[in-house]
Amino acid sequence: MIIPLLKGLATTLRHVFTKPITLQYPEEKRQVAPRWRGHPELTINEDGGRRCVACTLCMVVCPSNAIKGIEAAEGQEHEKYPVAFTIDLTRCIFCGFCQEACPKGAIKLNNLYELAQYEKSLLILDIDRATQKKSELRMADWL
Amino acid sequence: MVNLTIDGRAIQATKGQTILEVADANGIFIPRLCYHPALKPIGACRICVVEVKPGPPRPLPACATPVNEGMEVVTNSERVLKIREELMKLVLINHALECPICDKGGECELQDLTHALGVDQVDLEAVKLAPNHDYESLFVERHPDRCVTCGRCVHVCRDHVGAMAINFMHRGYFTELGSGQLPLDCEFCGSCIDICPVGALINKLWKYRARAWEVEKTETVCPFCGGGCTYELHTKNDRILRVRNEKSILLCSRGRFGFPVVEAPDRLKTPLIKENGEFREASWDEALDLVAAKFKEVAENAGPNAIYGVGSARATNEANYLFQKFFRQGLGSNQVDNPGRYTYIRALRGLASVFGVPQVSGVEASSAALLPYHSPLKLGAEAQGSGFPFVLGHFDDLPKADLVLVLGADVTPEMPPLGWKLLRALDNENCRLVLANPRRTKFDRYAHVSLRYKPGTERILLAGLLKAFLADNPEWTPAISATGLEELKESLKKVGPKEVSQKTGVDDALIKETAALLAQAQAPAILCGTELLAQDKGEQNVQALADLFLLIGKPGIPGSAVYPVAEKNNSRGVCEAGVMAEHLPGYAHLDEAAGGTPLPEMLDKLEAGDPAAPQALYLLGGDLLRAVPHRSRTEKVLKKAGFIVVQDAFLTDTAKLAQVVLPVTVHAEQEGTFISSDGTLGVLAQAIPAPGVRPDWQIINQLGEKMGYKLGAGHPQQIFRELAQSVPLWAGLSPKASYPLMPGTVSGTFIPFDVDLSLPGRRPYTLIVGKALNHSGTFTTHAPDGTLKLMSEATLQLNPEDAQNLGLSNGETAKVISSQGEVSLPVALAPEMPAGVVFLAEHFAEPPVHLLTLNSNLVRVTIQKG
Ligand code: SF4
Ligand code: SF4
Ligand code: SF4
Ligand code: SF4
Ligand code: SF4
Ligand code: FES
Repeated sequence: MIIPLLKGLATTLRHVFTKPITLQYPEEKRQVAPRWRGHPELTINEDGGRRCVACTLCMVVCPSNAIKGIEAAEGQEHEKYPVAFTIDLTRCIFCGFCQEACPKGAIKLNNLYELAQYEKSLLILDIDRATQKKSELRMADWL
Repeated sequence: MVNLTIDGRAIQATKGQTILEVADANGIFIPRLCYHPALKPIGACRICVVEVKPGPPRPLPACATPVNEGMEVVTNSERVLKIREELMKLVLINHALECPICDKGGECELQDLTHALGVDQVDLEAVKLAPNHDYESLFVERHPDRCVTCGRCVHVCRDHVGAMAINFMHRGYFTELGSGQLPLDCEFCGSCIDICPVGALINKLWKYRARAWEVEKTETVCPFCGGGCTYELHTKNDRILRVRNEKSILLCSRGRFGFPVVEAPDRLKTPLIKENGEFREASWDEALDLVAAKFKEVAENAGPNAIYGVGSARATNEANYLFQKFFRQGLGSNQVDNPGRYTYIRALRGLASVFGVPQVSGVEASSAALLPYHSPLKLGAEAQGSGFPFVLGHFDDLPKADLVLVLGADVTPEMPPLGWKLLRALDNENCRLVLANPRRTKFDRYAHVSLRYKPGTERILLAGLLKAFLADNPEWTPAISATGLEELKESLKKVGPKEVSQKTGVDDALIKETAALLAQAQAPAILCGTELLAQDKGEQNVQALADLFLLIGKPGIPGSAVYPVAEKNNSRGVCEAGVMAEHLPGYAHLDEAAGGTPLPEMLDKLEAGDPAAPQALYLLGGDLLRAVPHRSRTEKVLKKAGFIVVQDAFLTDTAKLAQVVLPVTVHAEQEGTFISSDGTLGVLAQAIPAPGVRPDWQIINQLGEKMGYKLGAGHPQQIFRELAQSVPLWAGLSPKASYPLMPGTVSGTFIPFDVDLSLPGRRPYTLIVGKALNHSGTFTTHAPDGTLKLMSEATLQLNPEDAQNLGLSNGETAKVISSQGEVSLPVALAPEMPAGVVFLAEHFAEPPVHLLTLNSNLVRVTIQKG
């Protein structure tokens, strides 16, 4: 009957010397896979401008009505660009359909997953808050 | 009937149909690109190819191939599928593929077709072409790099609009749609935009404002002329974004681009009350209480006849009906009339004097459950009618006429639909067009005979025509039973042989030629416009014209009719609804003693300080100052009326004279009906809310309540029912139908007319005050984003030679002086004006054109530089 006891002990001892798998969250952040579906945001060009041309296809495809109120305007060069764009994260189900529908690569699901807020309204992003920004949480290879 | 098979299915079709039409009718889909049901087959794209047996070995275009007995059609053989795919690749080879930003995206026929044919790769290459975008033209943006060279726009512009403003340049692969690399200079009807299957032509008002699938569509009626086009308002978030006519595509510039008037910055939003000469905003209750108290006071002190009502050709039938009910039933007077007195009523009265007032019998109450805006009366088995409504034509019949005489009308500006139908009439190569106008107008290009008479000589010209006709055909008996021909012949003897050509300036030979054409015609139609109606003797002009129609007309034969232009959207309806001094609804006649005072006489009474002159005026919209000749007098006279209430959407010049102004809804904001110029019932639907303002009928009803009347109006549908109940002529009428629907007998009496020239004075130039294409009365001049862009000010149209003699060049300011007043405005050189005749559009506030006129749209003027 001592043998099973020793077996158990051996397993325990083996794990004492391996790397711990517990992540010290929130001090330590979880690195997610490149295909991780975080929250959708509007991507930007090299020059910092939004890629979106306000075609509204993402709004049409979104199954949960999370994208709303896209309004377009005409620029100097007759280009079309959005002046209003709302992403409602309280509705988003992180399906990624918007990213798939967008013909311009202008909306992408990032790798951010810390979305909890005390204020619900903070989850409703207007065009500026929905636009991609530098973030420590972002992986370098995200785009 | 023709029997054929399509894809093995046995089908019956009518002779003359094309394979594509038959396939569509039977639910068989044949892909197509250049075909549009509103156009004749173009046959440009060949996407619709099918195999036909018996027939040539090559496939045939289904859209352009008529069906034949025993035909076997295959729409989906391997060969035609392959051809279609190859053709699609060729179409797509240089296509811009900007669907995400193209405003056609979502309603693009090329998108649908690519999808339907499953073309997902284009393995061909070709030189890139320069995109040559046109961002300059007003209202229309052109993207030649999206064009599929289907030719629809070219055809619609040439064959349906008659503007011929765009065409293809270059050949083959390099074919490009253009207007010579210049911005468009056309009618700006926008019809090419909506017929384009792709986004090569874009409506600038619509551009980037919504995607096609986001809009709500509301079918309603255009408020900008008497043509009564039905169109859809496309709205999103309670704003109108564009206007389309899905069926025939055709609309005119003001119909398509005039809608910003709804959002015009100077729209009134609250009632206004004048205090110490200044308007202040007031609540509805306050304003209505004030009006009710004032009306009561006037009615008690001076009797109900001291309040005078002027109806409006802009307001709905329901509002106008309730308006006259307010006077007739509430106040108990007949003191109502409408400004059509200066134009359209003259046509009605002129025609009525020759053909009689409407009489209808055999009409009975309908027992069927009543649908909205259906007449509660129906035609009995014996239903019969007579009188002038039976010589008025329906637009749809005009193409069946084989002779069209246009007198005193610049057709397209006055009523674009009449112009479109006239073009259809001319499709028939045996149709003859006689155009009589002092100016050269758009339709001169198509006219077989142009009679360029001197302004104001219409009756002399008609007398000459009648004389020449009767001289050629002494034994002529009119097709209509007519009396008084001898008297007419007698009266025409007064006209000397040389007199006609001398006074009108029209060659005798041309008059003879016209008379000969009139004698040959099997289905003659006569069109007349406001240029002839707005003269002081407009009524006699129409009498003369009615005499001519009585002589040559063949009512009963489709197309043969009289087509007087009813200028505004409801010019005809306001009369039918009974807002006339001498008529109750449905032209029920009041005798002289019972009838009210017609508008011009009312003004005379006011001017003379007659004790029977009104002390309060109730105006249902419409800017009298800008519509009635001799403005300075009208202004002086209106000021004499103690109390004026105006219901209008804008603070017009007339409204500025009022004590109380009540803001009203416009077409897109209300329900109701209009009667178009050809008697079609158009039904309005509310597309957007109208905060603050109220529909006319509601205001009248509330005012009635405050005065203790029981007008009992609850909804436009119910008011319509009540109105239609009292108009037997409308029996059986339903939305989009035209009345009269009962068979009619037409008889008439020739009325001798005097042939004097009604243009006094010695000044060297004759001014014609008329209509411009891009505006509708004064209504559209309030919308800076609308058609005001196309025409922002009035210009004096002057013959270049006259201009040279006067030392004036294009754009310089001229001073126009008549015996009544003077105005200054810029000159526009217009070769279409004959020497000695100048033209001025009447729509604008500045300069006030009617300062110059006396009692007619014609006036003699002196022109100076400066
Ligand atoms: S991820 Fe899905 S639910 Fe969220 S916005 Fe995109 S489409 Fe909508
Ligand atoms: S699909 Fe892409 S381009 Fe279109 S509106 Fe959405 S983010 Fe913008
Ligand atoms: S807007 Fe009308 S007139 Fe101008 S090119 Fe187009 S169809 Fe022709
Ligand atoms: S502009 Fe449009 S309608 Fe005209 S030819 Fe090109 S595709 Fe056809
Ligand atoms: S103004 Fe007349 S022609 Fe033009 S769209 Fe309106 S109803 Fe039709
Ligand atoms: S649709 Fe028949 S040829 Fe274009």
